[in-house]
Amino acid sequence: MARSSLSAEVEAGARPRTASAAVRPSSGGWALSPPSANPPPDRAALKQQARRDKAAAKQLLAPVSRSISLAGLLVAVAAVCAVVPLVLIVEACRRLSREPVDTGTVTGLVVAAFLVLAFRGLLQVIGLVWAHQIDAGFQLSLRRQLAAKLSRVPLGWFTERSSVRVKRLLADDVEALHYLIAHARLEYVNATVTPLVTVVYLFVVDWKLTLVLLVPVIAYLFALNAMMSPAHNARLGLFNRGEQAVEVTTVEFVDGISVVRAFGQTRKAHKGFQDAVDRYADALSAWKLPMTRIQSSADILLAPVFLTLVVTAAAVGMAAAGWVEPMDLVPFLLVGVGLGASLLGLAYGAQALREGASAATRLRELQRLPELATPVERDEDGREAVAPGPGHVQFRDVGFGYRKGQPVLRDVNVELAPGTVTALVGPSGSGKSTLARLLARFYDVTDGAILIDGRDVRELPLEELYRTVGFVLQEVHLIRGTVADNLRLARPAATPAELEDAARTAQIHDRIVALPRGYDSEIGVDAILSGGEAQRLSVARTLLADSRVLVLDEATAYADPEAEAAVQDALASLIADRTVLVIAHRLHTITEVDQILVLSDGRIVERGDHTTLRQSGGLYQRLWQANEEAMALLAERGTHEELV
Amino acid sequence: MIRKAMALVPADARRPLPAYLSALGVYSVAQAAAYVVLVPLLEGFLDRDWGTASIWLAVMAGAVAIAAIGAYLQFMQGLRIGVGMLRGVSTRLGDHLSTLPLGWFTGRDSAAVARVVVGEVREVLGIFAHLLAVLITSIAVPLGIAVGLLFVDWRLGAAMLLGLPVMAVVNALAGRSYRGADDRMHRAAAEANARVLEFAVAQSALRAFGAVGSGTRALDIALVKQRRASKALTAAAVPGLVAFTLVVQLVFLILVYLVVSWATAGDVSAASAIALIVVTARFIDPPTHLAHVGTAVRVASAAVDRVHDLLEAEELRDPEIDARPADNSITFDNVGFGYEPGTRVARDQSFVVPAGTTTAIVGPSGSGKTTMLRLAARFYDVDTGVIRIGGQDVREMSLETLMAQISPVFQDVYLFNQTIEDNIRIGRPDATDAEVREAARIAAVDEIVERLPDGWSTVVGERGANVSGGERQRISIARALLKNAPIVLLDEATSALDPYNEAVVVRGIRELIEGKTVVVVAHKLSTVAHADQILVVEDGQIVDRGTHTELIRREGRYAQFCRQRDRARGWRLAAAG
Repeated sequence: MARSSLSAEVEAGARPRTASAAVRPSSGGWALSPPSANPPPDRAALKQQARRDKAAAKQLLAPVSRSISLAGLLVAVAAVCAVVPLVLIVEACRRLSREPVDTGTVTGLVVAAFLVLAFRGLLQVIGLVWAHQIDAGFQLSLRRQLAAKLSRVPLGWFTERSSVRVKRLLADDVEALHYLIAHARLEYVNATVTPLVTVVYLFVVDWKLTLVLLVPVIAYLFALNAMMSPAHNARLGLFNRGEQAVEVTTVEFVDGISVVRAFGQTRKAHKGFQDAVDRYADALSAWKLPMTRIQSSADILLAPVFLTLVVTAAAVGMAAAGWVEPMDLVPFLLVGVGLGASLLGLAYGAQALREGASAATRLRELQRLPELATPVERDEDGREAVAPGPGHVQFRDVGFGYRKGQPVLRDVNVELAPGTVTALVGPSGSGKSTLARLLARFYDVTDGAILIDGRDVRELPLEELYRTVGFVLQEVHLIRGTVADNLRLARPAATPAELEDAARTAQIHDRIVALPRGYDSEIGVDAILSGGEAQRLSVARTLLADSRVLVLDEATAYADPEAEAAVQDALASLIADRTVLVIAHRLHTITEVDQILVLSDGRIVERGDHTTLRQSGGLYQRLWQANEEAMALLAERGTHEELV
Repeated sequence: MIRKAMALVPADARRPLPAYLSALGVYSVAQAAAYVVLVPLLEGFLDRDWGTASIWLAVMAGAVAIAAIGAYLQFMQGLRIGVGMLRGVSTRLGDHLSTLPLGWFTGRDSAAVARVVVGEVREVLGIFAHLLAVLITSIAVPLGIAVGLLFVDWRLGAAMLLGLPVMAVVNALAGRSYRGADDRMHRAAAEANARVLEFAVAQSALRAFGAVGSGTRALDIALVKQRRASKALTAAAVPGLVAFTLVVQLVFLILVYLVVSWATAGDVSAASAIALIVVTARFIDPPTHLAHVGTAVRVASAAVDRVHDLLEAEELRDPEIDARPADNSITFDNVGFGYEPGTRVARDQSFVVPAGTTTAIVGPSGSGKTTMLRLAARFYDVDTGVIRIGGQDVREMSLETLMAQISPVFQDVYLFNQTIEDNIRIGRPDATDAEVREAARIAAVDEIVERLPDGWSTVVGERGANVSGGERQRISIARALLKNAPIVLLDEATSALDPYNEAVVVRGIRELIEGKTVVVVAHKLSTVAHADQILVVEDGQIVDRGTHTELIRREGRYAQFCRQRDRARGWRLAAAG
């Protein structure tokens, strides 16, 4: 519960356009419930979001903004250079109409036009290449920054997110920034400067014809505004909901296909999908048809052919009346009628800028994520003074909640004596996993403190903390590289003999040797390991790390039923002589541990050893009875004696 | 791209196509005509012959009016085709998805499929609503101007006709080199992203072993390499870009230069020359814009490909005659299967599960046990051999007939975001309320319901997020109980259940398999020991078979398996020494 709401908050409103994000908030089902009717987002909120995005993009790009501005300047010059040759050709035309024709000057103007155009092409290319170079450098430093950040945020951040969502942030959004830096800004500059220079030039030539030329442009803007009527927005909302419904039904169709088919519901699911598609297509027509009617009429206003007609007709009238010189029409025909097209470019550029900006917002959020606070760096002497302790762990008045006002753990006071095993038991949702993870600093406590050998875990440099506390949880992460690389993560200087030793103890040496290249086999390439094998490799790694305190999930022992015994042996050797905190699921495996903590609703309700607790008449006794019952049921038809 | 996009338009949506293409034709020709008319118009205008100018202006206005009508019509017809395409393709995608083998779906990212169905199809819509018109007019209008000019000044017209293919060729070449560089750059970026992602996903491992504060060295090397690649590739894209910009401008200025030289030589009047230059500017305009829609074309063409890919995924064919099984037995006859060509997950498997008996499959993880269940349920079709149910090849039964025989209880329990009752009722939609409650009672789902705030009408959340793993299993058992099919395919869960859920699940399953034909992938000794037949599978092959007693006596792999399981069961977690 806390998990989903926390992550929802982080991503709230951040990315309405991707498929899966749009799928998330809706509660639609293919068979029965229609998708919930989300009201269309109101304009003020959208505007505010746009402002936030823009600010975020500015902050994120601050390190390169000066170079981008310079590249932008280059493109601005190039944009001016795009207009100049046409102006030169206008001049050539003027000279052509004057008798006698000065052939040399006219030819010179045409050549000059070519040179300026070539120069402009050069500037454009330089601007683009430069922007790409800036981008390449920026991406490197951004990815470095993100990597550094990722290694400092609480580990809980990762457990809350699927890797798909992390990927979206680190790959798709970084990519969107590439477009922002290397293309969008420059295109935007180009699309702004060109019409501006054009209009100024035309005003200088003849203000009356310029005004005539601007009439269709202004009419276009009015038409666009007319298009955005409340009725249009309502239809757009209907369309968006229709689209979302198709997404939701597709996702459920794909995810639930085995159920749908196994229970013969294909037709029904299919009908749900078909209905969604029909509604979607209807909504699309209802939205797009009236819009296209206006838009296609409006688009004509900006078409060069229409602008040519308008300005020529006006010129004919005005010239006949003696208000303008016929030659003054030429610049309008050569330069002016392209105005509409460059304005349309402005609209496209703005869209790309918005998308880049919203990616920037999400990356800024990541950058601003609170990091695990680390103590002020002390000098080398100070650090050496702390000798490794025996691994004595204390939880003092520990409280924790993922969100304010929703505590997951309360008033936890526990002591783990060096070299003892403590098991956490309790119903699912009682907080036992959270408690164990706090020790490995997946999160920081909200109240109280956790001490290792008398020192607050928050005071320990992260390197030292993770040297002291190891963990073996259900998910195993092997990194790309060889088997040896994975083992050496724990101790970079380990000798081959040490690696082998750890692997032997973890019951995985024989398997490694059987791989095509032994310890040099690459994970995922020629070392394809089963769940249990990967688990044992991670145990070997933890053995090499040799941390004094260990957080363990008992479920790792049977994640791979066929390798259960081997993993169990590996774990048994791992926990020897360490201070161990274990999350327990099956009670009969923990009957011999030193201390059992029974959690219920975030509090420790009972503690003691198995013998005491099982007669206490409390929660543990009830859990134990259920356990016994399950074991009896399992054994009912195949007892130990009967089997062997 | 255009041909592939057209292939997506269903026949009935193609009706507006002639109207659309004619409108586009009218639009292009009328535009070209309007520009060509500009020559006599400007000649008259610049010579202050208002009468001539006015007449040609009227002609031009007529051409523009026709062009406007053409533009409007092509817009509307294009949209109609697009909407028809969207309706047709979405329907086809839905139809197609429901005929794909279940295996196609395993491990598939549903959001990615939804992106194709909605996002990519919308991109394809854009082709008809907008892009195609831009592409066609960009070529047709200059061509029309050139041809029209043949009648006004044939030399310029001919020169333009020569210039067009030159620009087209350079455009294609430049586009290709730029796209190539851009693609490689994207790939380098994707590689770097993959490294960062891996770094993120493996954070707990990396951090546990001291990699705190900065990226690992390997990551940094990959990132630096990406920057180098990106820089190099940018440089590689430059020649193409330069070539294209220069050639278009060169063509333009050569044409202008030609006109100027004719004028200075006295071949054409100054007014005509100016008019011709203006028209030349209009002639060169569309090709320049063609370069700008390059990205849009790429995106759209990728979208078309992805929609086609989805439509071309091979479907499960329904037989012409729906064979009926004679009884509830299952037979594997020399079955061979691999998920990818060249790999073998099942080899030469032959066995019979007589009706009403239980067969347990045991073997190391990754030996292909679950695949055998999936093959029996026809998630995939076998590569070699035959699977028969009640004596009939499963491929000769319709999916409805086959699925009516089978209740699958697999490990990944999918719950729809509906109420618990709805989720159970999927087992048999026409079941009475009492039957649903009875199934729920046996699988102890009624206890879950009591605990939940809205009881039976509690919605389970997306993918069943509001219920625990054990509870999901209980709901899936209730579903199967309600369906009550004669064959049960059971993949025993390996996930950690608390003692209570474990007991309840065991009880529910026992009820479910009573009197049924059962194939179970078993991890619990209790399940295995009482099977009528045990198959020991290793590396996709059945290496041993028999009853528990027979196999134990044989002292083979099975006996070893039993000893290990037994030892595991007695395991206690405690500090050694």
